[in-house]
Amino acid sequence: MLSVWVRESESLLAFPAIIALHAIGMGLLVGANIAMDLRVLGFAPRIPLSVLDALFPVMTIGFWVNAASGLLLLLAYPAKALTNPLFYAKLTLIALALVAARTIWKRMRGSRETVGKPVASKLKLLAGFSLAMWGAAIVAGRFLAYTYTYLSAYDL
Amino acid sequence: MDPVLEFLEAWLKDTYIHHLMNENQWAWPVSESLHFMGLSLLFGIVALYDLRLLGFLKRLPMDALHRLIPWGVLGYCINLMSGMTFLAGRPDQYIHNPSFQIKLLFMTGAGINVAVFYLMTYGLVKEMGSGMEAPVRARIAGAVSLACWTGVIVCGRLLTFFRPPAFYWCFWC
Repeated sequence: MLSVWVRESESLLAFPAIIALHAIGMGLLVGANIAMDLRVLGFAPRIPLSVLDALFPVMTIGFWVNAASGLLLLLAYPAKALTNPLFYAKLTLIALALVAARTIWKRMRGSRETVGKPVASKLKLLAGFSLAMWGAAIVAGRFLAYTYTYLSAYDL
Repeated sequence: MDPVLEFLEAWLKDTYIHHLMNENQWAWPVSESLHFMGLSLLFGIVALYDLRLLGFLKRLPMDALHRLIPWGVLGYCINLMSGMTFLAGRPDQYIHNPSFQIKLLFMTGAGINVAVFYLMTYGLVKEMGSGMEAPVRARIAGAVSLACWTGVIVCGRLLTFFRPPAFYWCFWC
């Protein structure tokens, strides 16, 4: 039912609203994560590392908006995504990016003095990795629309 | 049809970018990928500053957070350029598309808002650290910015559903 509604409803509140939400959620999650990575890499050095967890609520909202809207898009066109290896690559890249964000925060929480002190190069490497994973996840997501073999299960 | 727009469309269709976008099958998704990365930079960073102006994320020092704004501007530049490749690639799909025109209006709104903010309000919040509350004028700027950029994203995603010739629209015709 939900699948048919998302796919076939003429309402702008169906498919169009869901892809719009998916873009907004991405902006919040990836954008806030980029802000954290940039700080770890040494930009905006006067932001104390210890307050970067203030960004987590923004990232969490972005994540759940996109998990929900992504699930609806998957329900609408399950065969389109599930038969495309790029879809699994995208999910893997997102998982790696989330693990990187968690690891960065765990390592930072321990460090007391945070303003102006140079960040360990290992952590910087992780921040670079995080940026790369989000970039790759976005590329995978965009290319999904151009590389599918089957739009619906009827085409299988 | 408006002669100015007719000229613009003909000119765009004669550009190198137009041919590249239509002849290389990967040009469009590559441009889109850049556009979405720019979106994340611009919207993500600017939304954080807007939210801080509005009174959220108060533990972040406002002045230090502002140092990330140039990255948002970088996102804006990436999107202006990648956006131009779409416009050059299929000008007929964009120029008279109501969703595209409203998107440009939201961008103009965001532009005016940011100009007013830096001319009249930024001085009030420039030195503010963590925990401090921005004055009402700055909160309004934050709310308008957040609303405009959200509108830009929504219109951008709705473009596909309002394509000419099914939809053919402009304020002046």
